Amino acid sequence: MRKALSNTLVNLGKKDPRILLLTGDHGYSLFDDFRRECPTQYINTGIAEQNMVGVAAGLARAGFRPIVYGLSAFIPIRVLEQIKLDVAHDNLPVIFIGDGAGFVYSQLGTSHQSTEDIACSRAIPNLSVYSPSDKLELEQCLNIAYQDNSSVYLRVGKADLGDVHQMELVIKPGELVKVKSVDEGRYSFIATGSMVKTAIGVAGKLSNNIEVWSAPFIKPINRLMVEDICHNSEAIVVFEEHSKCGGLGSLISEIAATSSPVKILHIAVDDKFSEKCGSYEYLLKEHGLDLDMAHKNTLKFIEGL
Amino acid sequence: MSFNPKKLRKTVLDMAYIGSTAHIGCAFSIIELLSVLYKSYLNYPGNNPTNKNRDYFLLSKGHGVMAQYACMRELGWLNDDSISNYFSDGSDLKGLSDSRIPGIEVTSGSLGHGLSVGVGLAMGAKIDNTKQKTYVLVGDGEINEGPIWEGAMFAAHNKLNNFMVIVDENGFQAMGRTKDIIALGSIQSKFESFGFDAITVDGHDEVAIDKAITRLWKGDNAKPKALVAKTIKGKGVHFMENDNSWHYTRLNEENYQQAVSLINDSKA
Repeated sequence: MRKALSNTLVNLGKKDPRILLLTGDHGYSLFDDFRRECPTQYINTGIAEQNMVGVAAGLARAGFRPIVYGLSAFIPIRVLEQIKLDVAHDNLPVIFIGDGAGFVYSQLGTSHQSTEDIACSRAIPNLSVYSPSDKLELEQCLNIAYQDNSSVYLRVGKADLGDVHQMELVIKPGELVKVKSVDEGRYSFIATGSMVKTAIGVAGKLSNNIEVWSAPFIKPINRLMVEDICHNSEAIVVFEEHSKCGGLGSLISEIAATSSPVKILHIAVDDKFSEKCGSYEYLLKEHGLDLDMAHKNTLKFIEGL
Repeated sequence: MSFNPKKLRKTVLDMAYIGSTAHIGCAFSIIELLSVLYKSYLNYPGNNPTNKNRDYFLLSKGHGVMAQYACMRELGWLNDDSISNYFSDGSDLKGLSDSRIPGIEVTSGSLGHGLSVGVGLAMGAKIDNTKQKTYVLVGDGEINEGPIWEGAMFAAHNKLNNFMVIVDENGFQAMGRTKDIIALGSIQSKFESFGFDAITVDGHDEVAIDKAITRLWKGDNAKPKALVAKTIKGKGVHFMENDNSWHYTRLNEENYQQAVSLINDSKA
């Protein structure tokens, strides 16, 4: 997934010399190819994220196409006000890439973990929010963000989980992507980012009447598709490596409550910080997001319907 | 068009009275600075505030925006109705800068934003090799904000000699004197140590301001520029001068008339 990120950045940079890649001293080897291929389009703004976003806003006003890279704990969380006032307020064409979302930096602790970024960013007018699950979605989300010519937050989570999509397909802006089809679906799982694979895993352990959808676009999302899924399902389970407050689960619930009420289970992060140090898998367990816990909780939910 | 400080202050008073608004003192301290900039430095081809070859002026201390509105009226970018309807329901001009108004480059009021945006504009002009200049006016209270210094380091590192920060050093911030809240020491020395060419000037002396800006631009080096303007909060109406209550106080008919008379009778 990181190779796809690097390749897509290089392709965009070579195609459009107005693209400038700004990093707040993060990324390490991720930008080796970009720096080699587009050396004058790479700017390390130093460890000063607030200034970086302001500078990106100025560059966008001057006709450039800045792509701002950081860890999602900092981009968008640390700089939320700069994104709101300096960029999104005027819908300037700046793409924000927030890497390592969720519990990727499990052992580094709270400062580097982000489970509130979708909630915060999706409440900002004009700002689109994308959350790809694998390299195919990432590449297309980034290209769509570039074509949008507006303000976009691209959330990149755990990057080495393998591919969700086994064959080429074209994803359309706002649409959910079906990743597991069944003849007669009774339940639907909707997941985003790293949790799409978990949702597929849970569905595989349960029954064969579960459809699984990936939601690479949190905002704007195709509401009619969500309404249809809710309307045609006996129950919904939403999976995300994000807080239960304000993320994809909240979004699906908001849409369902308005048009197609359905029971919804939310497999996501409770309203609390991580307590312990440990591997990524350990932290997923701590928050009940590992495959076993997700399976147990989903089974309990379905049995209780 | 006239950028006569008396006329600009009169417009500010009219707006403040009509809109029953605060921040009069914040606007009065920057009148002469804006007058010199709009009269002699800011280049807007075709008098078009959105011309892509314009110079950039960013009022980062958005609390002084009535002074900028007064100048924009002189330029013909705002009509008299927008002045006489200030703060009425459904009107466009707000109490703090809004970048959706042509001529205003940054949405401010939350402080510490404008300098970084200006640095980005200046960097863009450098990359494109244009002659555009960028001016960012910040308050002395505003430079408590961390991003000001992040942006200052970045501007110096990137040798943005097309960039000028102007500090309105009126000695006050919202809750009192800067020296009692966060003492700033020498602002000029601070910017010099961050890699700027800097000059301190009487911020109400138009001739001195003009000379200082010219001198800064003529500096034959690759440094960004800082103009530190010593000003008086509330300048022009003696009962407002250095009285921080005029950060908040609204005008009534009596003190409005009194202030207008004082400005009309003043020399400048």
